[in-house]
Amino acid sequence: MNEPLAWYIAGPLIGLLVPALLMLREKQFGISSSYRYWASLINARLDYLNYKRKNDLWQVQFALGILIAGFLYSGFFTPFLDSVVDLKSNGELIGVYDWKNSPQFFMGGVLIGFGSRYANGCTAGHCIMGMSQFSLASIVTTICFFMGGLLGSYLLVPYLF
Amino acid sequence: MKKIVITIFLGFSLGILLIKSQAFSWYRIQEMFHFKSFHMYGLLFSAILTAAVSLVLIKKFNIKSMNGNEIRVKPKKIDWRSNIIGGLVFGLGWSISGACTAPVYILSGMFGVVGFILLFGAILGTLLYAFYHQKKLNS
Repeated sequence: MNEPLAWYIAGPLIGLLVPALLMLREKQFGISSSYRYWASLINARLDYLNYKRKNDLWQVQFALGILIAGFLYSGFFTPFLDSVVDLKSNGELIGVYDWKNSPQFFMGGVLIGFGSRYANGCTAGHCIMGMSQFSLASIVTTICFFMGGLLGSYLLVPYLF
Repeated sequence: MKKIVITIFLGFSLGILLIKSQAFSWYRIQEMFHFKSFHMYGLLFSAILTAAVSLVLIKKFNIKSMNGNEIRVKPKKIDWRSNIIGGLVFGLGWSISGACTAPVYILSGMFGVVGFILLFGAILGTLLYAFYHQKKLNS
């Protein structure tokens, strides 16, 4: 596996996005509400999705930025970016993203979408934003994220892939 | 317009950091759950610590937002049942797809089909929650 950017560089930089979002946009770090926005476009008759979706529009823009970053490393720009070659040529890092694994990824996606709404947040909103405020809700949720993840990783993943 | 550009740029920065640190990768997530490397833990805890220190500094020095407003953060309210059940369900999905919510968008941009299937699943899961929520309201 290629060496990743060291955690002690990437981690604090990710953490700095929290004050950046607060100061520049007055928003609390989070991403999963963008799914609520998309879902409300599909069916706004349900009470949960019949809400002021405009408040979550910023997360859609935030998500768009994330997607653009992914696209930059899609291999499309390989002739211009050296670092892309590192990542893409390394089967160890990307081998699992074969279309044959689509059913598993679909299933994982449904659980992420359902769970993040049920728990009122995801790894961004609870683990990073919530834990940095030492909020009890976020600490409890983060512990459960990990418990669910451990269960899945040991009991399901070996049989699914 | 300026706001939109700023938001997209911040999202872009997060995307690049998650890619460069390999946190978006399914393999890194499995490695984390099997306690084989400190990388992901270091990443998460240093991010939380930096965010926490920033929040304290913002409060202490009463730092204002770009528009001159006071910055107020609201912690999420606890609801034991939903936080625990939702957390466990999310955790299962996190381990299977090897991605949480931000990496779903990275994978969509990076791999097309598999990524968009994942994104579609997540939106469908959200819709499913809305149906469940409705049922709870009506009962």
